[in-house]
Amino acid sequence: MTVGLRLDEAVWGLLHEALQHYRDNPRATDHLRHQLARLEQPLRIAIAGPWRSGKSTLLNAIMGEEVAPVDGVDGSAVFTWYEDGPQPSATAYASGQPPQELAIAKSATGMRVDLVGWRAGELRDIVVQWPTRTLRQVTLIDTPATGRDEQGRAPVMERVLRDADAVLYLTRDGRDSDLRVLETSRESSVGQAAAVHVIMVLSRVDETGGGRIDGLLTARRLARRQHRDPRVNELSVHVVPCSGLLGLAGRILSESDYAVLAALARVPRPELETHLLSADRFLRGDLPVRLDTGVRAGLLDRLGLFGIRLATTLVRTGCDSRAKLSAELIRRSGLTELRESMARLLIDRRETLKARSALAAVEALLRADPGRGTDDLLGRVEQILVGAHEFRELRLLAALRTTRLGFDADLAAEAARLVGGDGVGLAARLGVEHDATVHRLWDVASEAQWRWRNRAEDPLLRLAQRRGAQVVVRSCEGMLAELAEGGR
Amino acid sequence: MIAGIWLDVLDEIARTCGAHGRGDLLQTVRQKRVQLLDPRLRVLVVGESQQGKSQLINAIVNAPACPVGDGRTTVLPTVVQHAEVPSAALVQAPPATPGRSAAALPGTGERTPVPLDQVPAGVAGTLGRRPGGGPAYVEIGLPRALLGSGLVLVDTPGTEEAAALGAAGPTAAPAWADTVLLVSDSTRELSAGELTMLLHLARSHPNVVLVQTKTDLVPDWRAVAERNRQHLAEAGVAAPVIPVSAALRLRAAAGDDRELNAESGFPVLIGRLQRDLAGKSDRLARAAVGVIARTVVEQLAAPLRAELESQEVEEQSGPISRLHAAQREVDELRRCSTRWQNTLADEMADLLSDIEYDLRDRTRQILREVDDAFDSADPLVSWDTFQEWLERSLTEAAEANHEWLVRRCDWAARRVADTFARYGGDVLPPWSVTAPADPAEGVPELERPAVDRFTTSQKLISGMRGSYGGLLMVGLATTLAGMPMINPLSVGVGALFGGKSIRDESKQLLRRRQAVVKTAIQRHVDDFFVRVTKDRRDAVRQVQRMLRDHFTALTEELQEGIIRSFRSAKQAADTDAAVRDQRQREIRLKMTRLAGLFDQAQQLTGGRPAPAPLEPRP
Repeated sequence: MTVGLRLDEAVWGLLHEALQHYRDNPRATDHLRHQLARLEQPLRIAIAGPWRSGKSTLLNAIMGEEVAPVDGVDGSAVFTWYEDGPQPSATAYASGQPPQELAIAKSATGMRVDLVGWRAGELRDIVVQWPTRTLRQVTLIDTPATGRDEQGRAPVMERVLRDADAVLYLTRDGRDSDLRVLETSRESSVGQAAAVHVIMVLSRVDETGGGRIDGLLTARRLARRQHRDPRVNELSVHVVPCSGLLGLAGRILSESDYAVLAALARVPRPELETHLLSADRFLRGDLPVRLDTGVRAGLLDRLGLFGIRLATTLVRTGCDSRAKLSAELIRRSGLTELRESMARLLIDRRETLKARSALAAVEALLRADPGRGTDDLLGRVEQILVGAHEFRELRLLAALRTTRLGFDADLAAEAARLVGGDGVGLAARLGVEHDATVHRLWDVASEAQWRWRNRAEDPLLRLAQRRGAQVVVRSCEGMLAELAEGGR
Repeated sequence: MIAGIWLDVLDEIARTCGAHGRGDLLQTVRQKRVQLLDPRLRVLVVGESQQGKSQLINAIVNAPACPVGDGRTTVLPTVVQHAEVPSAALVQAPPATPGRSAAALPGTGERTPVPLDQVPAGVAGTLGRRPGGGPAYVEIGLPRALLGSGLVLVDTPGTEEAAALGAAGPTAAPAWADTVLLVSDSTRELSAGELTMLLHLARSHPNVVLVQTKTDLVPDWRAVAERNRQHLAEAGVAAPVIPVSAALRLRAAAGDDRELNAESGFPVLIGRLQRDLAGKSDRLARAAVGVIARTVVEQLAAPLRAELESQEVEEQSGPISRLHAAQREVDELRRCSTRWQNTLADEMADLLSDIEYDLRDRTRQILREVDDAFDSADPLVSWDTFQEWLERSLTEAAEANHEWLVRRCDWAARRVADTFARYGGDVLPPWSVTAPADPAEGVPELERPAVDRFTTSQKLISGMRGSYGGLLMVGLATTLAGMPMINPLSVGVGALFGGKSIRDESKQLLRRRQAVVKTAIQRHVDDFFVRVTKDRRDAVRQVQRMLRDHFTALTEELQEGIIRSFRSAKQAADTDAAVRDQRQREIRLKMTRLAGLFDQAQQLTGGRPAPAPLEPRP
């Protein structure tokens, strides 16, 4: 979107103004330079959530490799950063000590970091460099459990919001205490503008309903219900159910695993079911198939009891190769949907989110260190927040999700699509096929522009609807401008 | 066999509550009595949401009694108990009214039958609840032998905070339950919130069991159970951990598989519940009485202890300190009394000398003017005018002096009154110094002094005497020149000499007159001065006496008041000390009795060494 004031330019300008303002304050200057540098770096997505909500498992599932967690230091607040790099390495950053290289033990499906010799509370960050395609565009951050301390603050969540551009917030059932922690994000004026940087993930859904085979479906239904809940909706841009365990299992499923599963699937169903009643039975019972206890334990560890049940059912119903089973597991686990949501809602909006965190950082700095002229700069922050079309689109999207502004469902869906609710590419916005010609894109865009312009000027509509329509019109104009420049 | 003993102790506790005037505690104890005498075992199932609480109940009774599902399925507490035929009803207590809400017993409410197929809606709270009504719950009756023996299972909505446990109404309150099952699933260890809840429950409830569900799901449930036991031991909670799997139990029931049933862990749990049921009137009741004794004794002892402590603090601020203050007041008044007397004496001495000097100064001034006047004027000519002036001047001087005296007296009175400033109020004498009616009264009238007049005959004689010398002197000289003795020249010179001598004589006379008048006036003014000074002295002394009398009276009055308050403070301090001693004795006695009661209750629980919550201070 290049119509009017360009958001990244405005934010760039604001950062420089702030630098000028704080030129006598080395700490603030460092901070602002850091923010400037961050604008160029990959998008930082933090995976946060309460204790045992499956953060590291989900990170592994997204990476497709077993690289997390880096633990060993019990209960300490270490942030682990996963960056793209030429070769695997891990560096430890402790407060008051020089960075130190850590030893890495590679395994078949990932790696483990050796943390021997560090005391609890000493480490602050561990940066893991890992060559993988997933990390080309994003930096993933594995975080400690979010929780509230005695003063009712959530220190980990506060740091997450400071250091990350976007957050995958994991919760097992969207309970109140989890939501309250997430509400920390709404304290500043940038935070209140629109919660566009949080995707809520209903995690460990394979355990939903005590491991029943239809658990994933109910989880999906629950996620939809949560998404409609105004309280959740206000805090997150989307709610996705996902089982990190199944997803990871699908991504690292080996041929030998597949062979074992296929052998199990050949056992008649009623007989197998009695063996899959409990984890104990599976581990210790007399399986009709010869399997070592070690193999069983490994399988149970990777897939979980539910995963084994699901996988054997899948093999029996047609997934007759490792690739097929793997793909189906990934799909069922919700990982595909999550990755797609991440791409569509976070990575595609990289620049907006970067600008957003820069604005938040400037606002926090201005509020923490007020002086002469800070009011002007705060005013500039607000002006950018209000004026930037990107944020207007996001606000309209949020409004469409919660109230639909009184548009009927079809119109609301079209408006959401045009302002980038389904993806920010031209084709996605216009709802045409991927390989449409420029000519066709132009036709669709101008037609949409005319329709929404009429709506924006329709005196019979309510003011809020007309305003919403105006935003859509501007998005259409932006697309036309982009097409006119020859872009796609 | 020992049912009597714990009942006796409970009644004793109730009596103690009554004696301490704690109706609220009495109410609780009575409720507990009713509950303990009820042969049924009320089992409360609590825990965070999505831990399998409802499924646990279903597995215990082997029937889908409570609806299970994802999200929040249990909104209303559900009571599962025995009935001949399956039935369900929604029970809603009448709207809570102040004073009655605490007393509302479970089971006293409006019952609405619910069709069996609508139980999930009822439990989800979406059916048949009157808006604005009190807390509601769902009652489900099932024909089960286990329930028939007296087991009542209560399912509650999931909560994460211990404080919210009783929020769903008295049905779900732990105080009403005989056994509390805290449910936590095997996928993870106890969370911090669950541990807090356990601690809270264990403090107020004698019989808490941690049920670890979903053991079928995870292979390492044994490790989780072990760690949970460790957590409990660290927290000092004596609750057993019973791992179960509802899925296995239900499956076993469907297939009538004894082995699977044993694997599910439920026989252990049910055995425990049955033991509780059998031992309710004995072991459980004794434990419950022990706990309630502890709660009651703690509650009763807390205010007593606070009173004891506050009394120690009061000793510094009570009547004793008032006594000290009164003592200080007496001393202060004594000092004040000396101070005002000195001030009065000093002021009056100053006043007197000042007034005298002032009067002297004024009369001197008058005399000086008199001298000036009579240096030139002839008293013979100007006496009348002069006398009038002199009288007026003297009167004026006396009046001015008197006025000043009055002002100075007033000022002195104020100075003395200032020393009483800390007693406040108007302490000035109500009167002021009155002027004597005539200041010059008693001074003799100034008589016109007897002065010599220069009469014509005198003038003639002195003229003749003067002219005689001149005539003779010149006549003799001219006789030498042959002229007669009496010739015009000698007559002329004689006349000249005569005139001169008359003039000289008259001048002398005038001076003499002036001197006489001056002396007379001086004497008069002296008389006046002596007289007025005497008056002034008298007046000042009178004023001094009056002021002294006034302030003495005032001092006495103040002293009397202060001494009276001092006495009353002393008396109060004495009686207060006595009362406090008595109260302290009473409190100590009460606390000793409470400690006795507590010991008695603790002995019921089989000599389990429990930390005594209080020790009466020696």
